[in-house]
Amino acid sequence: MTDTLHYFLMAWIDPHLLLLTALGTLGGIYIGAIPGLSVTMAVSILISFTFAWDINDALALMVGIYVGGVYGGSRTAILLNIPGAPSAVTTAFDGYPLAQRGEAGRAIGLSTVMSVIGGLLGTLILAGTAPYLADMALEFAPRDYFLIAALGLLLVSTLSGKSLARGIFSVALGSAIGLVGLDQVTAQPRLTMDNMQLLGGIHYVVVMIGLFGVAEAFYQLHNLNKVPIKQKVDKIIPPLKLVLKFLPLSMRSGVIGVVVGALPGTGGDIASLFAYDHAKRSVKNPRVPFGEGAYEGLVAPETANNAAVGGAYVPMLTLGMPGDAVTAVIIGALVIHGLNPGPMLMIETPHIFWFTVGNLMLANIFLLIFGLTGIKIFTKVVEVPKAILIPLILVLCVVGTYSINSNMTEVYWMLGFGLLGYWLKVFGFQMGPIILGVILGPLLDKTWRQAMSSVGDSGSAFLLELVSNPLSLVLTSVIVLVLIGQTPLPAWLRSKLSRQS
Amino acid sequence: MKDRYERVQPGEKVFDWLLLLFSGGLLYEAWRVDGIPSLNSPGTFPVGLALIMIAACLVILFSHRRKRRAPELTTAGDELKAFVAEHFQPHIIVFSVISIIYLVAISWLSFYLSTFIFLAAMFIYYRGGKVLSSLIISSVSIAIIYVLFTLVFRVYLP
Repeated sequence: MTDTLHYFLMAWIDPHLLLLTALGTLGGIYIGAIPGLSVTMAVSILISFTFAWDINDALALMVGIYVGGVYGGSRTAILLNIPGAPSAVTTAFDGYPLAQRGEAGRAIGLSTVMSVIGGLLGTLILAGTAPYLADMALEFAPRDYFLIAALGLLLVSTLSGKSLARGIFSVALGSAIGLVGLDQVTAQPRLTMDNMQLLGGIHYVVVMIGLFGVAEAFYQLHNLNKVPIKQKVDKIIPPLKLVLKFLPLSMRSGVIGVVVGALPGTGGDIASLFAYDHAKRSVKNPRVPFGEGAYEGLVAPETANNAAVGGAYVPMLTLGMPGDAVTAVIIGALVIHGLNPGPMLMIETPHIFWFTVGNLMLANIFLLIFGLTGIKIFTKVVEVPKAILIPLILVLCVVGTYSINSNMTEVYWMLGFGLLGYWLKVFGFQMGPIILGVILGPLLDKTWRQAMSSVGDSGSAFLLELVSNPLSLVLTSVIVLVLIGQTPLPAWLRSKLSRQS
Repeated sequence: MKDRYERVQPGEKVFDWLLLLFSGGLLYEAWRVDGIPSLNSPGTFPVGLALIMIAACLVILFSHRRKRRAPELTTAGDELKAFVAEHFQPHIIVFSVISIIYLVAISWLSFYLSTFIFLAAMFIYYRGGKVLSSLIISSVSIAIIYVLFTLVFRVYLP
């Protein structure tokens, strides 16, 4: 217990870690707020610089950036109607109309407080559930890991983007990129096109920086000269009465955020959409209709997307599976530092878990402080012209990629992935599923082969195990239900039932 | 009346055909791992992924049947012009070409010199010829990069 408390408070009492968390949170707010800079991009680029750091320092900075960045997107969604991050898309629905009515300050203040409530709730649920889940996960067979990873990829395919086929293609493409190199079991070259340089595989940080950094920079070139409209910002600190009024909705949205965030592959963007939908269904008489500046339409997504941060850490720390693209990158950081994300992490390195929990709490407190102050400076910084921002993003991507292995070839690969990512993005393919595929693909391959070895390469024995083991049966049923949910069958059943009633 | 057809972007169909071609190439590469794979061989998963990608591409291509071009784009030539106008605007081409030159130049000129030239050139071009302020911003950027990455993060740069 004393050890747990010590690990939990490590970032609170060590001035160095305290400063890094504060810097990360502050930086995250600005990075998340500047359209064109995403949290995933920032963490992807940052990971390569923190290779040589102490793991606690690296995690403190990344946690701060993650928490601040998820919130930061709401600022520009409210002020400019340009969501700085995908998780803030829903915030713009009611946040911008509020700003147009002259309530930008109130909207920013309310979104800050609700984000902090969501973030703290997500962290508490993470602290309460993850140790038990990790214990349970020790009992999982390779086929269960395979099913969980497959479910995560299936969910990310179905929930992100407009087209299931595009989502599935993105996930499969990412998984294929993740498999390039020597097979871990037989050392046979796979997907290398007889290229010696590909035998070592493609470093996933190179893929991440290319897809999230360079591709985004190219994509932003389309809106190079867009000038934002300035809003009047005052009365930032929201009255306690208003916060208390929305607390029940905020708690419900927070739980939605944690649950959705904990599903491997989903993140704050999907959590905020679910929470917004819940608010629309459950709030009967908002002060103004949803979409025209309803406080409820701001409270629900803002609580949910920050709650999803704690949720996303649950599968990452208990199963070694990323909850979203940012935790996919953080998994990379842990692996690089010699740690083993998954159920053994709690047993082998419990300090990492409790340090992360304490750090998330601390980052949320800094979020409250920075979120309610310095708004005048903020409005100036987010107006940095893209003409300056975009070339600098490319330079940062070059530095980030080169610092991984001091290898210029990887920098060229990074540019190649950037151009590929640009075209994929243009034609409606999402980057998140590709990255999750890169991380989860090798895991799927490994667990599939372990599962098949355990049943003597017999397909029928594998299928029998899927229905005879309770956990495997539940996971298989969920996968089948998700697949059925994508067919016209549910719509047909609903219409038949409504005709009958 | 609401248009019941979704719009297809200029170039979208060609891109989706290219993805199918790429997926076919991947299937060939995956098949080369160990021929027709058994359930537990190194080639199983790559072959499976390539087949999934091909299936997804076919579904995407089939979905184009429910889409239509924008009414003003009547011919393939119009579509090509719209595609070029959208994605090959001068400032995008300039950025792409200069970026490639910049990456190649790093090996010859060193990181800091090539980065300074790249940033200065891009700032001057994008900011409509504000030479002095662009040079100042480039110098400040280089100084920040040096302090942050070389001194603080101790990143070795070429």
